[in-house]
Amino acid sequence: MRIRVRYEKTGKVRFISAIDLGRVWERALRKADLPIAFSEGFSPHPKISFTDALPLGYASTGEYAELAFAAPVALDRCVQALNAAFPPGVWISRAVDVVDGAPKFNSWLTASCWDMSYTDVPGFLEAVDAVRAAETLPVLRQRKGPARTVDLRPAIHRISGDNGVVRVILHHVSPPVRPSELHLALENFHPGMPEPTLITRVAQGTPSPSGLIEALSGDFVTSGSCIDPAPDRSSPLIAPARRATVSTDRGASGRPSKGNQSDQHQQDSDRARGVAQSC
Amino acid sequence: MTARYTGDAGMTIVPEHASAFRLALDCSMSLTRTTFASVWPQLEPVLTRVRKPARYVGGEDNIVVKDHASMDSAWLLVYPDAYEVGQPNQGVQILYEVLNERPRTVAERGFAPWPDMEAVMREQGIPFFSLENHLPMRAFDVVAFSLAAEVGYTNLLNCLDLGGVPLVAADRDRNDPLVVIGGHAAFNPEPLAPFVDVVCAGDGEEFVGELDAVIADARAQGWDRERLLWQVGQLEGAYLPSWYSPEYLPDGRLRGTFPRGKAPYRVSKRTVSNLDAWPYPKRQIVPLTETIHERYSVEIFRGCTRGCRFCQAGMITRPVRERSRDTIKEMVRDGLESTGFDEVGLLSLSSADHSDILGLCGDLADQYEGTATSLSLPSTRVDAFNVTLAEALVRNGRRTGLTFAPEAGTERMRKVINKMVSEADVLRTADAAFANGWRHIKLYFMIGLPTETDEDVLGIAELGLKVVRLGRQYGRKNKVTVSVGGFVPKPHTPFQWAAQDTPDEITRKLELLKRRVATERNLNLRYHKAEPGVVEGLLARGDRRVAEVVRRAFDLGARFEGWDEHFDYQIWTRAADDVGVDVAWFTRRERDEDEVFPWDHLDSGLEKDWLWKDWRDAIERGAELEDCRWTPCYDCGVCPGLDLQHQTGHLTVYGADTG
Repeated sequence: MRIRVRYEKTGKVRFISAIDLGRVWERALRKADLPIAFSEGFSPHPKISFTDALPLGYASTGEYAELAFAAPVALDRCVQALNAAFPPGVWISRAVDVVDGAPKFNSWLTASCWDMSYTDVPGFLEAVDAVRAAETLPVLRQRKGPARTVDLRPAIHRISGDNGVVRVILHHVSPPVRPSELHLALENFHPGMPEPTLITRVAQGTPSPSGLIEALSGDFVTSGSCIDPAPDRSSPLIAPARRATVSTDRGASGRPSKGNQSDQHQQDSDRARGVAQSC
Repeated sequence: MTARYTGDAGMTIVPEHASAFRLALDCSMSLTRTTFASVWPQLEPVLTRVRKPARYVGGEDNIVVKDHASMDSAWLLVYPDAYEVGQPNQGVQILYEVLNERPRTVAERGFAPWPDMEAVMREQGIPFFSLENHLPMRAFDVVAFSLAAEVGYTNLLNCLDLGGVPLVAADRDRNDPLVVIGGHAAFNPEPLAPFVDVVCAGDGEEFVGELDAVIADARAQGWDRERLLWQVGQLEGAYLPSWYSPEYLPDGRLRGTFPRGKAPYRVSKRTVSNLDAWPYPKRQIVPLTETIHERYSVEIFRGCTRGCRFCQAGMITRPVRERSRDTIKEMVRDGLESTGFDEVGLLSLSSADHSDILGLCGDLADQYEGTATSLSLPSTRVDAFNVTLAEALVRNGRRTGLTFAPEAGTERMRKVINKMVSEADVLRTADAAFANGWRHIKLYFMIGLPTETDEDVLGIAELGLKVVRLGRQYGRKNKVTVSVGGFVPKPHTPFQWAAQDTPDEITRKLELLKRRVATERNLNLRYHKAEPGVVEGLLARGDRRVAEVVRRAFDLGARFEGWDEHFDYQIWTRAADDVGVDVAWFTRRERDEDEVFPWDHLDSGLEKDWLWKDWRDAIERGAELEDCRWTPCYDCGVCPGLDLQHQTGHLTVYGADTG
């Protein structure tokens, strides 16, 4: 049995590496006493696959993983147990069963929506407008090997600025374009612009004309507005299940609820996504 | 031996403490405490500029976060090394839980910042901080350092300096935290004497509670520093370096370290008699980032009477106190449940010596068979029983590496150090291990031991090569790792009189070894550079004059002596030159019987006469000494001195022999 989850990495855990995060998952699975499947071989590993790694220091409300279990588990119990076992800052906000033959998870994760938070920069909106209007956005990329100039523009799906926050939807290209590079592009139009105080991956999914379709829920994430309300953690043991069952019903998404008769399109879309039961 | 200050008038150390006390009460300022804000808002934006920021964020599973406003006392427990080394330390974890279980006490953790972080902290004016509430060091009443080894001394000074606490104890006032040290290195605290207020040698479980009660009183009643120190000095096992002064002979040797006023002539170590009454850790902190040990650890017994003459840990932690099988099983069950670790370490100085070890391992292996949980048992014993145990632990699981510690390469050398194992034992053990499917054997040795010849050094290579040949009979790829460390004489051991080899001599001996094993591809030789051992030796057996070297080395930028990439021998030689300390005199000189040691006034329970006799037996006759758990008592002095006996299942033998 496989499940796919969307989870958060916020607060202090944003400073742990992708490898560390993998260990956090393994320990939480043991603490939660869930029958995770193990790989074969000399040194068996629990079968969790993570989608592309979040750079160290970035926060996220849109990380994704696929887990394989050796025995059936109840989705809500699984989410509750894991959320109780995670350290503060790691939190599963949605989980779905995966039907056999479902398309690979990565085919539903072709773009990321990012929020880059700045403290009160005059001329900030002009810089965002300039980036949006630019035909090419050459920046110097310094990773392994010699620095070279790359054009960021093709990777940008949509970009907007509001209230000190740049919201940008970036296509997943290879090698990936990082928000830190987008900051360099903004700085080109606004020399001396201070670095963002926080970069958050809001969600991942597939681009749509108006924004992004979130991978597990089908919610629309649009540029210029935040559709995801802050999760309610007042009652951590019950909240995930309740949130999960009502999660397709969140008003701000503009999507019809599950119970709506006119939701045939959504059910088709769920099947295509490999979602057997949304919880 | 444990006579304490009685508080008479006319003491030289705390003059007129009674009137000082009244003064303090009159002063209303003393009852208000400065409140400190978290440094997190300053820290968070700079964390992406440093390597491994997870070291500094806290937020781990099982941490205890309390509101300081409703507490009577606040402790900062500091392990003066990097997070990944310090966090798995048992001592800090135990005291953290013991203190935090007190409802009106808060204990938080701190670790030495890596040099990149230190630079950012100094540039941004961020003080040394705790990981739970990210409060600055000065927000705490007590800053307690755990010193497992000497290599943390400059880091200790750096932590205090970053914390804005005066480095010299005499410069501190009522608003400064009390600086306390404990751990094995506290058995010779003299090289740190000017910098610390209180030293406690031995087990800390009971001591911290007693000290905590004094701290709470001090805060409630607004004591000034003299009054606080005076009260702390009444605690059993509290050594206050400022109450003692050393005197030296014309030839530079120590005449003695003498108490001033009515301080006790000697201060005893603390010893917890019943480990089952202290079943910690219960909820071990689970690091978010990689650390040197990723496991739930339970100490299955404390103390060791194997009597290895080089081993400080075995000498200063006597007598042997075992935990019962039931307590250990309970701790393992609860510990795994509360942490999610998949490895259990059954720790002690020689775990195979627990009187109930086979039963315990059998029970645990039954319980976790077929799960992903693995059991590990660090043991220095070299006999076939070790393989039996390893087999009991792994069942049908993976057999990777087994570790043995013959410590020396020849029969003669092993007799000198009292490691009672013959070459036949080693080979039989290795044979049994390879025959059972183990593929990799690690052997630990030391060089630079007293009376050592080149033949003894080469004996290490010969033994390693014999084990390789044995292994080859069972599989072409079977491997042997030979780890070699340079011997450093330590206080409170029979070898405390010994001369330490020069780094040149150690390097030469390493070369002999390297050449001998160079052509054997299945033998992997591992060793450390020789120079750090000189600094370790200086700090281990140094007196208060060495404190000036520590201070000077710190000022010159010395940090993280235990890390090859940071250790700088030039700094230390320059520091010693600058303050006029002859390093060779402290390290290379063999001491005479009448030498007064800087640690003689710290009582580990061992009789100095017995240690001397054991030292002479070693170098004159290579005479072996049996373990007193199963042979008659040889009067090392610990049991009667502490009014204790070994607490082990071996007691029947012990009792029969001693009546």
